[in-house]
Amino acid sequence: MRFSNEKIVGKSVLPDEAIPLLEGEGRFINDISFSGMYHVAFLRSQYAHARLVSVDTEAARAMPGVIKVMTGAELAGKVEPFRSMPNRFSGGESVQHWLAVDKVRFCGEAICAVVAEDRATAEDAVDLIEVDYDPLPVVTKAREGEKDDAPRIHEECANNHLIKREYERGEVDEAFANAHAVVERSFHIGRKQAMCLEGRGCVAAFRQGSFKLSVWMSHQLPYVVRHYLAKHLKLTETDVRVIAAQTGGGFGQKASIYPEEFLCSYLALQLRRPIKWVEDRLENMVASTHARENDVELKIAFDKDGHILALDSDIWADVGAYSTYLWSAGMEPLQIAGLMPGPYKVPAMRYVTRGVATNKTPVGPYRAVGRPTASTSLELLLDDAARQLGMDPVELRKRNLITADLMPYRNANNLLHDHVNYEACLDLSAAKANYQKLREEQESAAPNGRLRGIGVACFAELTGLGTSTAVGPGTLLQPGRDAVTLRLETSGALTIAAALPSQGQRIATAMCQVAADELGMKLEDVNCVTNDTAMAPYGFGTFASRTAVFGSGAVIKAAQELRERLLALGAHLLETPKEELGIVDSAIQTLDRTKSISLANLAEQSFFSAKHIPDELNQGFEITSFYDPKFGSFAAGAHTVVVDVDPETGDVEIVRYVAVEDVGRVINPAVVEGQIIGGIAQGIGEALLEELIYDEEGQPRTVTLADYLVPSSMEIPKIELHHANTPSGAIGGFKGCGEGSIIGAVGAIACAINDALSRKGGDLQAFPATPERVLRALNVEMRDA
Amino acid sequence: MARDQTITCKVNGRTYEKSVPVRQSLADFLRDTLSLTGTHLGCEHGVCGACTVSLNGRSVRSCLTLAVQADETDIVTIEGLRSESGEWHQIQKSFHENFGLQCGYCTPGFLITAIELLEENPDPTENEVREALSGNICRCSGYSAIVTAVMAAARDMRELQKK
Repeated sequence: MRFSNEKIVGKSVLPDEAIPLLEGEGRFINDISFSGMYHVAFLRSQYAHARLVSVDTEAARAMPGVIKVMTGAELAGKVEPFRSMPNRFSGGESVQHWLAVDKVRFCGEAICAVVAEDRATAEDAVDLIEVDYDPLPVVTKAREGEKDDAPRIHEECANNHLIKREYERGEVDEAFANAHAVVERSFHIGRKQAMCLEGRGCVAAFRQGSFKLSVWMSHQLPYVVRHYLAKHLKLTETDVRVIAAQTGGGFGQKASIYPEEFLCSYLALQLRRPIKWVEDRLENMVASTHARENDVELKIAFDKDGHILALDSDIWADVGAYSTYLWSAGMEPLQIAGLMPGPYKVPAMRYVTRGVATNKTPVGPYRAVGRPTASTSLELLLDDAARQLGMDPVELRKRNLITADLMPYRNANNLLHDHVNYEACLDLSAAKANYQKLREEQESAAPNGRLRGIGVACFAELTGLGTSTAVGPGTLLQPGRDAVTLRLETSGALTIAAALPSQGQRIATAMCQVAADELGMKLEDVNCVTNDTAMAPYGFGTFASRTAVFGSGAVIKAAQELRERLLALGAHLLETPKEELGIVDSAIQTLDRTKSISLANLAEQSFFSAKHIPDELNQGFEITSFYDPKFGSFAAGAHTVVVDVDPETGDVEIVRYVAVEDVGRVINPAVVEGQIIGGIAQGIGEALLEELIYDEEGQPRTVTLADYLVPSSMEIPKIELHHANTPSGAIGGFKGCGEGSIIGAVGAIACAINDALSRKGGDLQAFPATPERVLRALNVEMRDA
Repeated sequence: MARDQTITCKVNGRTYEKSVPVRQSLADFLRDTLSLTGTHLGCEHGVCGACTVSLNGRSVRSCLTLAVQADETDIVTIEGLRSESGEWHQIQKSFHENFGLQCGYCTPGFLITAIELLEENPDPTENEVREALSGNICRCSGYSAIVTAVMAAARDMRELQKK
């Protein structure tokens, strides 16, 4: 039997991880230095598409303080370039050299690396390199780029399709032929980026400790980096240690493999010196992966009661110049298409989706990949349908949600919905927002001629994907299992080691909470390291709202085994049957609490005075467990947003924001709240502000934070957050919570804006809803400046 | 023009005399010369506010300030917020207790900006807090917990004043 401690899971435990950050001792990548360290700066392409006629590095090489200037030509053949493609579907391949060879394909692509004694010298030397470009015609839009006569970005990639997939399930044509109503909609979302406050960066060191190569990196996937570093640099994995340094935001942008860090690692081995490179903001805007930029043509067939009969979509994702390494160009286009049905019953569906190469920065994973586009286009169409069918938008959604009594429910996209309650989220959101009253007051409530709009969006977010549910079908990386090691130290403290680094999600704190509960330990006796391949067992890392599910599942499995070992030795030392013992407050005790031994005492005896302990009871107190949940866990939510649109200025003000979320069993409520509100804030940016703009030459026009607008404290309203949590089917009942809220935010805000605009006959099809777009949607005459 | 210049300044209570390149930013001086890496660089063009430090009691962007401009000044960075006995400043406590940070990269700038606000206005409204913080970007939190933390710090600091 087991004594129950007071549960720590479910409490807003203050995270010790925050302490160094509050004291200015976070040690981010740029804070790590070694003596003798060299610095790298990159020369980057000024053209979107050009042949490199010549690269003259002589003056740079001659500059005092410059150690080496590396060109693509010199590097070619020495390291394996990146090739990443979704091999299950049609589409061409892109080959990405670490430094451009012969051709550049986007503004910002690295051409040369300068190694110097300090960063300023390296940057000065970059300015001395002379490149002769022969400009080539450019592709800047996906739908133009796939035409037969469009310039080709990669020779072997016809129609610039890095991927194209067609899918059909159910009787789609029949459903459209027999439909009561067919509603169609076009949707465009602009290009954006994660905009982590800290850029990427690395320090690569030769022969630090017992490793040939140690790399500190601002990254989400240290083990995956280690595997591929070893592969590309022809080392064995035990030669390489990767440490995810304290990381200043990730959001998916730090989940890909990029040329710069791999090149620095190569240079560290070649020059036998520590090498540092830290991205500045200008580099980050052009050299770190972008996100979104999708076009959707969506068509849905409804019966007379507003039930969805079939869904047909045509999707273009502008994936940039290269198929992002490991994840591939398939991420956005496949997930937009595949996840289009969201939480709704869709009996039949068909899609054609493509990832089209353009002369722009490659697109990679970013918070909720594909889902905001899928969800927002669908939610906007549902509102259109409600208007057309004369139904309330909430009622239309209720009729189509997959309800709990139907679960497990397999949708037309082949995903199985279970352990989630979409209807409860919608009901609670409508109730908390007082939706009926909002509608009644809609006409009179907005001040000074403003247009009031109400938007309600439901979403499903597949989190914690196991081996049977691929994150990106056909890609090189098919994550699905992770391990943790629990080790009782000889002091009696517990160390949890996992390769699940945190970019602010307080993962270590969460893992400690779970382990403390499972083992009956005091929280202060439990520690967790999450970022170091030299200390942690294999794991895929932190992305795709997976860590709470995988980490907790593996911790619980390992804790159960460790607990048995501890009780067996406790029984021997206390001369009491194991069945009469439990663990409370880091001590093994009898039921009546007359006999007790602290874990500290037990641990010390087991190691330092093991003479009288039978071998079979002393097999070490270190357990590694793997966990694979096989399937994903659906998290969900329903957001209700009220906006006022100013028809004179095009300004959109969010006047009310109610979010209801189902994130399963919650480990640390305050941390979860921070994740959800943070996701909503990025969704507000996506819906209203953030857009990376390119001109027709492929020149990026938004390369500083003065041009690329992210929300400040003034743009984010008070978020009213409520929970309708249903435990998942994974061990512990946990779900992921990092991404879902951005889906609901973009959808609900977009719906609210169009609800407002519809009052004046306006309709917005392209987002973000900048003042200019809003005014154009209202047919306001604008003189171009 | 000379490439280097000698400056004298006080940082976190300690006086330094250093020769600095005239083109060096205050941020690089603090981080590279004094090894005070708690001040972070987020954009290096004065927009994000991560590099904010206190200079003669006013918040400044250390990325836009030259080290030579800091000659004869008194500077406080995040490393200097604790008291001599090691106690946290109320704003540090409040950010911790209210989960006012996630990745923590922007935190140094927010702490310095918030301290300046509370010194000028010990009893701000929520809107005044939002406005005062509007020059600092946080990408993780959605600002909600930060605003709560600053409001709580204001309350606690007023309570302490009364005692």
